[in-house]
Amino acid sequence: MLRDWRLRFVAPAILALAMVVFLPTGYLFWMSVTHWVVTDPDIYFAGIDNFSGLIDTHDFWNAWRVTLAYLTLSSALMLALSLGLALCLAEARSARVLRVLVVMPLVIPPVVAGFTWRFLLNSEMGFIGAFLLPSIGVRTSMLADPVGALFSVVIADVWSRTPFMFLIFLAALQGIPKDYYEAARVDGAGVVQEFHFITLPMLKGAIVMALLFRVIDAINTFELIYVMTKGGPGRATQTLSLFGWKVAFQGFDLGRSAALGVMMLAITLICAMIVFNRFLKVRE
Amino acid sequence: MTVAAVTKRNLIAMAVGLAMTAAASAQTEVNIVAFAPGFAWANLFGPSGTEKTEELLAFEKKEGITVNMEYADEETARQKVLLDLVNGTGRYDLVMLGSDGAVQTYSYAGYLEPLDGYLDQAKDYFDPSGVYPQFLDANRVNGKLWALPYYSFGAGVIYRKDIFDKYGITEFPKTTEELEKALQTVKEGFAKDGVTNISVLTMRGAPGEEPSLDLAGFVYAFAGFPAWFEGGAVTPEEIKANKAKPIFTGAFRDGFETFVRWSREFGPPGIATHTWVDMMNIYGQGKAVVLMPSAINGFAALGGTENKDVKEHTAFAASPVGPSGKPIQSFWTFSVGISKFSKDKEAAYKVLAFLTGKQSMEAFASQIGWPYNTFPEITHGPVLSAKWPKETLDTVEESYETADPHYFPYIPELNEFMDRIGTAASEAISGGATVDEVLANLQTWAEDRMTRAGYYK
Amino acid sequence: MTVAHAEHARPVRTVTRLSRPRSVRIARIVFLGATLVFTLFPLLWLAIGSFKTRYEALSLPPSIVFEPTFEAYAKIIAGGFLHSFGNSLTIALTNVTLALLIGTPAAFALTRMTSGARDNLSFWVLSIRMAPLFAIILPLYVLFRSVGLLDTRVAVAFAHLTLTLPLAVWMLMTYFRSLPIEIDQAAMIDGASPLQILWLIIVPMSRPMLASVAIVVFIFSWNEFLLAFILTSREAQTVPVAVAGLAGTMTFDWPLIAAISVCSMIPAFIFVGFAERHIVAGLALGAVK
Repeated sequence: MLRDWRLRFVAPAILALAMVVFLPTGYLFWMSVTHWVVTDPDIYFAGIDNFSGLIDTHDFWNAWRVTLAYLTLSSALMLALSLGLALCLAEARSARVLRVLVVMPLVIPPVVAGFTWRFLLNSEMGFIGAFLLPSIGVRTSMLADPVGALFSVVIADVWSRTPFMFLIFLAALQGIPKDYYEAARVDGAGVVQEFHFITLPMLKGAIVMALLFRVIDAINTFELIYVMTKGGPGRATQTLSLFGWKVAFQGFDLGRSAALGVMMLAITLICAMIVFNRFLKVRE
Repeated sequence: MTVAAVTKRNLIAMAVGLAMTAAASAQTEVNIVAFAPGFAWANLFGPSGTEKTEELLAFEKKEGITVNMEYADEETARQKVLLDLVNGTGRYDLVMLGSDGAVQTYSYAGYLEPLDGYLDQAKDYFDPSGVYPQFLDANRVNGKLWALPYYSFGAGVIYRKDIFDKYGITEFPKTTEELEKALQTVKEGFAKDGVTNISVLTMRGAPGEEPSLDLAGFVYAFAGFPAWFEGGAVTPEEIKANKAKPIFTGAFRDGFETFVRWSREFGPPGIATHTWVDMMNIYGQGKAVVLMPSAINGFAALGGTENKDVKEHTAFAASPVGPSGKPIQSFWTFSVGISKFSKDKEAAYKVLAFLTGKQSMEAFASQIGWPYNTFPEITHGPVLSAKWPKETLDTVEESYETADPHYFPYIPELNEFMDRIGTAASEAISGGATVDEVLANLQTWAEDRMTRAGYYK
Repeated sequence: MTVAHAEHARPVRTVTRLSRPRSVRIARIVFLGATLVFTLFPLLWLAIGSFKTRYEALSLPPSIVFEPTFEAYAKIIAGGFLHSFGNSLTIALTNVTLALLIGTPAAFALTRMTSGARDNLSFWVLSIRMAPLFAIILPLYVLFRSVGLLDTRVAVAFAHLTLTLPLAVWMLMTYFRSLPIEIDQAAMIDGASPLQILWLIIVPMSRPMLASVAIVVFIFSWNEFLLAFILTSREAQTVPVAVAGLAGTMTFDWPLIAAISVCSMIPAFIFVGFAERHIVAGLALGAVK
């Protein structure tokens, strides 16, 4: 098996990744069990102190709650939107320009996307927040209301990253043989049935993969949220990534921040494994 | 060609080569990381922060030092600085700090070089006796000086005189009690006149450390001292000696509660997420009447506004005095320190002195034009006197004199405290929790934090 | 319900336009219209803002008719932003090339492996991305510092590769999995080596997916902020880092930020337009039965 062409093909990728992954990951694990606070000259082994300390704080659980809410909402919206778009624009004769245009929000740096939506939704001077919304009777300040802020962040995120999922689905759709649809039509199937019996099953792999990457992406979203709400009002939009950043760069507690990172990594791995085993293992 | 001749040739060539490299490395490099391109040292690095102006080139030539500047925004610069210092990389010789956390943390962590010993050098660039002592004080931790102030400000109020006049308030209130009444008057006046798109007050309530500088000022004015720890302890030594516990549910409450209440009653609907940017924009667009206590944001608004009323009717007043008899504080310096890992601290100090010295501050006054300056000479000098009425400049100067640069504790954990306090305020302002609830949480957190840091052993 | 036809050597890969009932067409148009407004409106607002003055850009009600100023764009040209554009472009293009070169064979090989090895390896590749960025910033910084690669484009390109390569591999795997193994077998019987199969058969058939991967990798790298910021100083600064630097402490030049964003859309627009053509080409070409 070692001289197998398959292993030779995979080797460069594994090598490239391993080089940059192993050492930092090891270092991360080391940091997570170390007491390392910038203002404290003592650096020593701390066992599970960092972990237990984190679990004890209110912030920790709040951040999980916020992250889950944000994740579910934005991923669901994104999935629906990107799938719909891909279905509408997958056909060769659709305007090319539309396909390129739809991708553009992804190109805007997340910092700018955050500011753009922040200025748009601002209840004092924003075009949407101070002009459009009040004119249809919505008086709450989107960004200063705990629930509104979460929605705002979700919308900005969906706007910014839907094109990513769209691209995945667009390519995946093109992999479905036309014959299937023809045969289905011959059998008298309608649009909904076509979608349900052909498109969806063929896209299953792509959907699961897109969602997996989406979840990983969402966990790492930082600048967008930070710039829009700074995690607020209060801690209403303080996701795990914001919390972790604060622990490291304002609390100067590098050990704890690493511990949080390790916890997040572990949970993501476990969830991914479950999803992987359930949906992605191809039964030969 | 004899062997000797060839060898001699080679030796000479080698010597020349060595001499050239020596000459080249005689040009020391000083690396700086800072924020605000086009604002900070625009006279040296241009509006984009990436050029080198004549002024800078002249300095470089004269001193034989190459100055490399790197700009980033404040938060991201903070990460870079931390990574550099924590790893002792020494990539940056000079680092930009704030007097509300960075100076304290990094000095206690041992990452900064104390400057007292350097003050006698480069006096022709920076003469410590020529600046307001308060600004130097703000950068003193435990009696030692750790950074030199570049751009700094004190407390004050920017407001619309025309609107105050309209509702019968001819003189700006001197106490917080009077100010609250005045704010109420304007609010009622607006309600009667059907004015809905102007807020009475604009302050900042975003989570994190944004509000804390101002909030701490309120606390100070109401309690009369930095009411964070028992007995008003402000240094780690004091706290340890007296085992001073936090008192966030104690004397801290009055100022905090007022800040939250004023924000809710008189501030714009989105105030719980407002930063200095919003303050500036809102005032500049004519959508607020009073901006305080970081009046600097009002001056920034003036710089970019195109609203006639704002331009013509903006006035500056001293920060009102609280029940304790002390004014609401807001004091901050944008300062620069030397990294302990710098490879040539003397050269770094020279650059530092140049960057914070009279020449730079004069350029600052000409280019930015705000009435805040670290040199009394420049504050009353021709450039600023031409722009601002004497009364304004005098009131500004007075705000330095009535300031207590140490109006919050100077402890290494300051950054985190500022972040927590601001977030608590934001939560209370947005109505997510009551003042007492957030203060109780703050108290619990603070006690735990200080215990963990070993203060009460 | 008819299923995959094994007798087709190369299945058709187009989704042609089938006639649809009116209700579906209307639903499509409404959905598309709403989505386009949602997508394009902020971009438009951004672009317009870049031509206004700092005061105008944020005033309400917004002036639709106004006197445009090119202040912001002048600043871009005068300032050193072109340097960061060059860096971003180099890094992004390097990533695309490497991701495709390394990722395509890997993905292909993975789909042709036995399930045990394939599942383990592909899961490991996916897991690379799971460590939260804020936590690995410091370790990565230490790693690159120890090999002396801080503030180089190589470092950033490499760091990006660890994020884009898994993505490329997975996207391609999903696609390659749908290509029947009979194709390989038929070619091998004809005496083709795996490399030839990959290069001469699989790749041409996969143009749409390759183009999509290229787009995704390019944009991701172009856009990435945190790693690029941590690993660079002046030399290798990228566009998002330059933009973030402008969201200053004492100044806030919104038109300038907007102008840079608009400018950064241009290379991406060109690249996507170019790559997108391959998606369509793949459709039109179809495949010979």
